[in-house]
Formats: sequence, structure tokens, C-alpha cells
Amino acid sequence: MSLPTSLVGVQPKFETKGLRAGFGSTWVLKGIDLKIPPNRVTAVMGPSGCGKTTFVRCLNRLHELTPGAVVEGQALLDGEDIYDRNADPVAVRRRIGMVFQKPNPFPTMSIYHNVVAGLTLNGERDRKKLDHAAEHSLRGAYLWDEVKDKLSDSGASLSGGQQQRLCIARALAVEPEVILMDEPCSALDPTATAKIEELITQLKRDYTIIIVTHNLQQASRVADYTAFFYLGKLVEFDETATLFENPKEELTERYITGKFG
Amino acid sequence: MPRLMDMGLDQLNSLLLDMANLSQQAVAAAIDAYTHGGKGTGVRQMSDRLQVLHRQVSDLSTEMIARFQPVASDLRFLKACLEISYGFFRYGRYALDITQVLEMFGDLGPCDRTPVVEAARKTQEMIRLSAEAFGKRDVEMARSIPSMDDIVDESYRSYLRKAINEKGNNKCSMSAMLILRYVERIADHATYIAESVEYITTGVEPSA
Amino acid sequence: MTSILVSGRRRSWRRIFDRIMKALILLSVVIAVIPLFLVVADVVVQGLPAISWSFLTENPPSPLAGYGGILNGIEGSLLMVGMGTLIAVPLGVGAGIYFSEWPESRLSFLSSFMNDVLAEFPTIVIGLFVYAVVVAPTRTFSAVAGAVALAIIMLPIIARTTEESLKIVPITLREASMALGIPRWKTIFRVVISTGKSGLATGILLGIARATGETAPLVVTAGYLNFPPTALFQQTASLPYIIYNFGTAGYPNWTTVAWGAALVLVAFMLILNLSVKFFIGRKSTGVRAEI
Repeated sequence: MSLPTSLVGVQPKFETKGLRAGFGSTWVLKGIDLKIPPNRVTAVMGPSGCGKTTFVRCLNRLHELTPGAVVEGQALLDGEDIYDRNADPVAVRRRIGMVFQKPNPFPTMSIYHNVVAGLTLNGERDRKKLDHAAEHSLRGAYLWDEVKDKLSDSGASLSGGQQQRLCIARALAVEPEVILMDEPCSALDPTATAKIEELITQLKRDYTIIIVTHNLQQASRVADYTAFFYLGKLVEFDETATLFENPKEELTERYITGKFG
Repeated sequence: MPRLMDMGLDQLNSLLLDMANLSQQAVAAAIDAYTHGGKGTGVRQMSDRLQVLHRQVSDLSTEMIARFQPVASDLRFLKACLEISYGFFRYGRYALDITQVLEMFGDLGPCDRTPVVEAARKTQEMIRLSAEAFGKRDVEMARSIPSMDDIVDESYRSYLRKAINEKGNNKCSMSAMLILRYVERIADHATYIAESVEYITTGVEPSA
Repeated sequence: MTSILVSGRRRSWRRIFDRIMKALILLSVVIAVIPLFLVVADVVVQGLPAISWSFLTENPPSPLAGYGGILNGIEGSLLMVGMGTLIAVPLGVGAGIYFSEWPESRLSFLSSFMNDVLAEFPTIVIGLFVYAVVVAPTRTFSAVAGAVALAIIMLPIIARTTEESLKIVPITLREASMALGIPRWKTIFRVVISTGKSGLATGILLGIARATGETAPLVVTAGYLNFPPTALFQQTASLPYIIYNFGTAGYPNWTTVAWGAALVLVAFMLILNLSVKFFIGRKSTGVRAEI
């Protein structure tokens, strides 16, 4: 697949080569070659069952935690294959953050402890470092002003949109390079969604963002590049504006105009 | 299974086809009045009607963009709709302008009307082709129109050059120049419509 | 189209029928509760007169003479249930964690099944097993043997409730933790168990409640002693044994002692069960349902 012109010569942050994944004897992903550009938002979209969530879960080696899961192929983060025999999955996951579809703050922890969980549960004890990380991450997630006076309240006491931003802050605190988002707004109301979309466009200054969405309008609002998956294969990958105004593949055209799926 | 917006798209399509027919009639009536001497009755009504239709197209396509947030070929169609409807509307307007010239200049019997009539015939052919290309979304047909525009442009310019060297206020050449000017503008719009048809189908704006 | 307006006769018949059903259900509830109520009432009525500070701090009387107390039983039960808990909790929680976090392994499937069988096992058989394995080689009834028997009885309960409490913790929490780069064992101990901890506590308390009331296994493992325990490998008294022994002997003062012991035991069970209710009442996972 030819690269969009703006990405020719750009070193990809993440590159998959022949990435296949599935469960047992069923392959969900059937060989994906994709170059994800750094410091941009790349959307992955397609109809249900096209493999977009599986793809993203392969990027932080979460897919293999499901019993029966199989993965083949390569996924290169800054040139290093995360599936190399010598690669440490825990180290991989520390460089890649993830935000899930339904906000999932740790229910037994306060807001503060939720944000710094990735640090404390990995042994960080320095209170000053933790405080700094908490404030920095909460600011980065546009949540600081709303919670700075109630950091010891339970994480579950926040609204849905705030909880999702808390989860984003929690992911940011570990200082990842890539942030994966699996339909992060699908459980939120339009106002909360708008705040998070705004946040995403700000975050790309410092992080590479990959967002799974089935909402075409969200992809067109938020993403610089869009990849269209269908039945486990990559059909088209291009700048979002181009893909939405003049897609090259007929399959893409039929999907986004709603003529199927 | 038809989509929600298909109804609106069909409505827009038929509005544009109506405008295509009406504008062709208006131009034909105006040119006919010039060629055979006449008042061009009915052209005013047709032009006004075209304006109303153009506004309807504009409202409907905007509404559809806001409501359905269309993409790809749908989006291109809606964007092109406005161009095309404006073109048909201008056909009617220029037809009206031609009849106003006729009204002002009165009897043009003794004039040599052939240069204008020839250019007008060419232009009417272009109008017909542009309307048909749109109706059938025929890119090849659309691509044949710009070259015809060159011919009309050339006849306008050559007549102008000739008229500059003529002496005196000549009712014939003045009226001919004005009408040729309108005819040339109509031809331009036919070209724009052809380009829009190509854009809808291929997604590429043809370079001028 | 059927009308929503129903004739008066059908309406009142339906109402009568509803009331009859409700009455029948209420009746079955009352009948079910009566035996429990009667038992507790009986225990309270018969046992209360025996309770006094000396009752709780003295050893049992000899037949026909005085009232004495049940100190040996209280200390013995505490000792054996305590030791049993110390054995059963780590093993049971560990097993429960394994069943919950590695459900796909064959070992998990098999042992989980065995666990369920063990939970329903006749406790006298468990007692006999411990007799053969601990009492016979050491040639004595002992607190240790009693504790081991109680531990075996508690184990499946604790394992099962641990497994169930952890399984309720949503997968998405584990994934969130793993996605932060937190290793698996830390995810289990600091996130999963932390979230399911009230379920775990419930299981342990239920196990203790069960163990405290077991009589048959203690008869064949711990035996009885008239004095509070002084060594681990000698016969040890327990409250259930006292009830069993003193309640059926026929001496009136001994009968009173037995009722008193029964009351203490029942009171202890009630307190444990109320604590369980308290833990369940506080939601173990605090995630609110957000609309």
C-alpha cells in the first residue's frame, strides 16, 4: 500500500509488518502492514469484527493475555520489535499507555492514588515525585482544576467524562510515548466527548495517538490519518481529509457513505 | 437498503434536472427572439423561477450537509450541487439579459445576425451537453465541453476586434456585441458545470 | 384491539387470587423460620440462667456438684479454630486466586472440582482421616489434630468464596493495571485482591463460623480435657464437645452447663454472621452505575 504523500520519508513511530492475530484457529487480523506516524492522531476504523480492537491490543501486547490468543508478525516501536523473543512485555507496556472504552478507575483508590498507580505499584515512593507527577498528569488531562481540592476522594465519585480523563491522566503519569485509545468516548455524553476530543488534539504534541473509533465524524474531527480495516485486512490508509472526501478504494467509499456495515 | 439521506439526494437531483430543462428553454427562447425577431415572452418568468429553484437547492444541500455530515461521493455531490445550480440559474439570468437588450434596441431586422446565431448555436449545444452530462454523470461528455468553450471565446473576441475598427454607433454591432458577451458567459458557465460533473465522479478538480 | 378496561368480576377475582398467593408464600416463610426461631429461643431461655462471669472463667464442675464454667472449652475452641484459620487462610486464598486468575489450566479445573467435593464432605470422615494421619502417629488426641481437621473443613469454603469474589472483579480493571506496565503478580495482589477484599473477608468469616460449630471431627481428633490447653499435643476441650458430652449425660447441673455453652456458641455465630452482613453491605466494588 502506498504511503500518503505527507508521510514519505517520515520515520514511523510504530510499524507493523505482517501482523496477524487471532484466537485458537481463527485469525482476526490477517496480515497488517501499517506505518503509524509520530506525534499525530491516527484513527483505526471499520465495521464490527474488522479487527481494529484486536490490532490495537496487539500494539501493547494486551491481546496475548486472553487465553487462546495467538500473534504472529512484527510490531516495531522505534525500530524495535515488541514481539522479539527478548522483549519484555512489561517494559513494552510502560512505553505505551492505553485508555479503554468504559472508564475503569481503580475503585478502591482515591483520585490521587489512581493517577499515580502506575508509579506507586512499580515501587516509586518519593512523595514529591508522586505529587509532581499527579499534578502534571491531571493538568495534561484537563482535569486538575476540577479535582485539585478533592484528590483524596474515591475515583468512582467522578462523572463518566471525568473518570475517563482520570484514566487518561493515569496513563500519562507513566510517561508513555504512545497512547492507545479504544473507542474512548463511546460511553460518554456529547459534552464529555467534546472535551476529550479537544484533549486528544492537544496531546498529540507530546504523544503519538492511535484511536479506535466506529464514529466517522469523530475520526474526521480528531484524526490526522485514518486507516480503514475490513475483515482483518487494511483496506486504505491516508490523510483523513483525503480519505473522507475522495477515498481511493471502493470498499472504503461504500463503508463511509453507509452503503454497507 | 436506502439510506436516510437518499431521499434528499433524489430531491436535489430532480430539482437540478428541472433547472437544466428550464434554463435550456429560457436560453432557446431568448436566442429565438433575437434570430427571428420577437419579444421573448416568458423568459422573465422562467428566469424568476430559476432563481427560486436555485435558492431551494442551496437550502436543501446546506441542510443535508448539516444533518447528515456526508462524506466521499455524497459530500462531493452536495458541494457540486451549489455550483451547478448557480450555473443553471445564470443561464436564465443571461437569457433575460438578452431579451432586455432586444427590448432596448428594438427592431434588428436589417442586421447581420449570423455570427451571433452561430455562437449561440454552439453555446446551446454546450448547454445541452452540460445538462446531459450531469444527468448521466458522464465524465467523457463533460470533458468535451471546455474545447467548445474555446471556440465560443474565439468568435466573441474576433467579433470584438472587428467592431473596434468599425466607424460610428452601429445599432447592429452594439446589440451583437452585448448579446455575444452574454452568450460567451453562458458558455463559461457550461464549462464550470462540466468541471463540477467531473469532480463529483472522480474527486479531482480538473485544472483550468 | 383488546381494551385495557377489564370487567369488574375478573378484576376482583384476580385480586383475590393475588392475595391468596401472597398469604400462601408468607405462610411458607413463617413455617420455615419457626424451627430456627424455636431453637434460638430455647437456647436463650435454657442457657441464660447459666451465664455469669464465673461461668466464662472457670472450668466445668464434677457431676452433681455446682455449676462451674466452660473456660476449657472457650480456650480450646479459640486455640483450635485460630490455628485452623492460620493454616486454612493462606492455602484457601492461594487456591482461590489460582482458580480465579488461571481458570484455563487443567490443574485449575480439576482442583476446583475437588474443592467443591471437599466442601460437601461428611466432616466425620475428615475427622477419621486426620485421626489416621495425625492422631495415630503421635499416639494422642491433640489440639493440632483438631486444628488440622478444622482447617480441612474451612479450606474449600475459603477457596470458593475467594475465587468467586475475585471473579467478580471486572476484567477491565486487570487490563487497566497490566496496560500501565504493572506485572501480573502485582496486579493480582494490589489491584484485584484489593478490590475483592470484602468478599475475601466474608469467606474467611464464614469458614470460621462453620469450623467453630463442628463437633464430630473434634470428637475423634481433639478429645476432651477438663482444663484449658497447656500443650499442643494433648487432648483439648472445645465448646461443641462440651455441649455433646455434658448435654447428654443426664446430670442436671451438667445439662445447664451444656445449655450455657450452647448459648455462648450461638452468640458467637450470630456475631460472626452479623459481621459478614456488615462487610457485604459495604459494596466491594465502588464503581457507580453512571447513566
